[in-house]
Amino acid sequence: MAAKTYNIPELDTKLADRRYHLTDANPEFTQKILKTSRTIANMCYQCGTCTGSCPSAPRSSYRIRLFMRRCVLGLEDEALTDPDLWLCTTCYSCTDRCPRDIAPTDVIMAMRNLAFLRDIVPKNFLQTCQLIYNSGHGVPNNDVNRAARTKLGLPADPPTTHSYPEFIKGIQKIIDHYGLKENADRILKGD
Amino acid sequence: MAENTEPRIGVFLCHCGTNIAGSLSIQDVVDYAKTLPYVTIADQYQYMCSTPGQKKIDDAIKEHNLTGVVVAACSPRLHEPTFRTATKEGGLNPFRFEMANIREQNSWVHMHGMWEEATEKAKDQVRMAVAKAAKLEDLIPKSVPVERAAMVVGAGVGGMQAALDLASAGIKTYLIEATPTIGGRMSQLDKTFPTLDCSQCILTPKMVDVGRHPNIEMMTYTEVEKVEGYIGNFDITLRKKARGVLTPDEATAKGIVGGGCNGCGDCAEVCPVIKPNPFEMGMAPRKAIYIYHAQVMPLIYTVDFDSCVKCNLCVDACGDKKAIDLEMQDEFITVKVGTAILATGFDLIPIEGKREWGYKQFDNVISSLEFERLICASGPTGGHLIRPSDGKTPMAVGYVLCAGSRDNTGGVAKAYCSRFCCMYSLKHAHQMYEKIPGCKVYLFYMDIRSFGKAYEEFYYRIQNEGTKFIRGRVANVLEDPVTKNLHVYTEDTLLGRPVDIEVEMLVLAAAIQPKEGADVLRKKFGVSASQDGWMLEAHPKLNPCGTTTAGVFLAGVCQGPKDIPDTVAQAEGAASAASIPIHMGEVELEPYFAMCIEDLCAGCGMCVNLCPYAALALGEKNGRTVMVVTEAKCKGCGTCGGFCPGGAIKMQHFTTPQIAAQIDAFFAGGEQ
Repeated sequence: MAAKTYNIPELDTKLADRRYHLTDANPEFTQKILKTSRTIANMCYQCGTCTGSCPSAPRSSYRIRLFMRRCVLGLEDEALTDPDLWLCTTCYSCTDRCPRDIAPTDVIMAMRNLAFLRDIVPKNFLQTCQLIYNSGHGVPNNDVNRAARTKLGLPADPPTTHSYPEFIKGIQKIIDHYGLKENADRILKGD
Repeated sequence: MAENTEPRIGVFLCHCGTNIAGSLSIQDVVDYAKTLPYVTIADQYQYMCSTPGQKKIDDAIKEHNLTGVVVAACSPRLHEPTFRTATKEGGLNPFRFEMANIREQNSWVHMHGMWEEATEKAKDQVRMAVAKAAKLEDLIPKSVPVERAAMVVGAGVGGMQAALDLASAGIKTYLIEATPTIGGRMSQLDKTFPTLDCSQCILTPKMVDVGRHPNIEMMTYTEVEKVEGYIGNFDITLRKKARGVLTPDEATAKGIVGGGCNGCGDCAEVCPVIKPNPFEMGMAPRKAIYIYHAQVMPLIYTVDFDSCVKCNLCVDACGDKKAIDLEMQDEFITVKVGTAILATGFDLIPIEGKREWGYKQFDNVISSLEFERLICASGPTGGHLIRPSDGKTPMAVGYVLCAGSRDNTGGVAKAYCSRFCCMYSLKHAHQMYEKIPGCKVYLFYMDIRSFGKAYEEFYYRIQNEGTKFIRGRVANVLEDPVTKNLHVYTEDTLLGRPVDIEVEMLVLAAAIQPKEGADVLRKKFGVSASQDGWMLEAHPKLNPCGTTTAGVFLAGVCQGPKDIPDTVAQAEGAASAASIPIHMGEVELEPYFAMCIEDLCAGCGMCVNLCPYAALALGEKNGRTVMVVTEAKCKGCGTCGGFCPGGAIKMQHFTTPQIAAQIDAFFAGGEQ
């Protein structure tokens, strides 16, 4: 059905048809997630145990149950462009308690992978990627930490790539193998 | 039929709608069948099991003077009896019929894109069936008389109803109950949904009826020890557990006139041992000599010998009645019955296995059956609902539905729906409003399954009373260490928000599982279990009361979760089914029994020990020791026939020439 137009852009946006149409669904999206996550997402009966267990949900708009629904219905754009996708802490509480033995966390991880393929990744994730590439740490040591460590009688730098920078090369080799840094640079540059 | 003439076989293919015809070429198989040796006619029909289909068989036998019939259709488990009858109608011995299962074993498993292969396989199946059909012999089923008595195991509402029906139909009925009283789970309930009938008021009159029915022999505190025999002639050994107390009849038999237990309770008053009462879910005490509750049937006390200290105070208190015998031993009795009904019921799952809900960790998390006792007028609190931690009346109560049901994570959880938890939780919500004005009720659910008559209307009523229905399965429960209140965490999925609801008491509508010991019992009767653990019916739709053991029937929850109306309905169905062989007076046994070819038998006796049904023995015949078969006991399993080193045992309907012909037909690929 052709959408009715009022010839006023604001009004057209405001009154746009928000119903879910069959054309919104991409069955391949569901199949891709099932394959990547290796979990039985189709068996979800939307009981809410996942959201009820989620430490992120009470403090944000992240609803893991909603992502399970989007997965089953194949609502690709809605799932991958929702910034909430990146609020999962991957604590696996939902996976632990799901009565249908589904791993919702793995569905989220699969969706994040598919989002990355479309260059949809929050800036901080990409910057973390760059940090690991350059220092071997997602959260590199800083002066505050160094002072605290010294106070506790520890060496200022931990026995990681901070103390042995020659090993950073190995980490870079792994990251390069997956083109992670390259893509992070490219996406951040485009912003 | 002349035995020495060339076999003349008729082959009939069934389309089964599109069940078979949708996956393979019926016409190709029919054309192929016509080329097979001995095949006189090959035909097809949309539904061979229907009247026109069966008439085709009937007509063909008469017209073509057939000696054997092959139907290629579904599983013999479904329609072998049907086509045997059709074969008999046509004038042939019914065992001149052979079935090729081209549905379950072919079309259903080769459904997509295997047309050619499925067609070839069907040809193989038909060829093998024809080879066997050419060698089939006339067999005469054996009739055995049926003992005019029945047994019902389990005296809950289902078992009681089945026993009453059988007894009222004039059949002597033994009603066996493992606990000291009949009544079962229903006697633990306060009210029943959706009518809110008082459970005791509708059950206790039935218990009294059972107790005084002249055809019912009620045997409480008794278990099935051993089952021997077969339909019509089961010899069942019962263990009458030592009760420690004589009934008035038993006392009279012992010469104690006017003695025996009259239920006065003087013994329990003096007994020094205190134990939790399982009838009250352990929430009330009982003595080592006890009755479960005041309305027990029979009103006879029972000694718990595991906790009795034999102080003899009760014996003194009983006085001249001399009802108590602390030296009593278990007794074994064997009874003969024609048919048996199992009605063993259910237990709640050990819901503490779901750690996140805190049962047995937090005082105020209770199971639904405990709630039932707490709100019951005859319960441990006299119907005053209090919470366990401090004895206060809870003003906010939560109900967790699907507590362990519809959950396939394994462990204590069950994948199936327990079917009655929705309805009794609605009832509990109603009872809260009825008993505690101003209380708040929260019901955590996924779906409300109010499927029965007047159930949905009951749901409306409860909604209208103000219960808050929160659509979300409970994720976890935490206890406030000071107030002992409970925080229930879930998502209100309709609102899309996580919730944290504080209640003063939480009731878990725990899933149910087969009664402890039911597995051992069903094996004694040769009854299988389905994957979910419940006893397996003969057919889920067309024979829900029967089992694969002839003469053994199921009633109530032992076959799968059921509410009271369904349990009673199935019990009446089972009673009706169990009374048929008894009223007929004799049953036909399949003539599949082993036969000894005495000329070949060396009398070694090895088969005798192998037989799982104790059907074989050694005997003298014409001065030689040979094996003798008790045909009625033989199930035709073939263990002896497969083993016999001399090839002296012939398995009727599965003879070596018949099986060999099938194998030859398969390998020869139809080439002669």
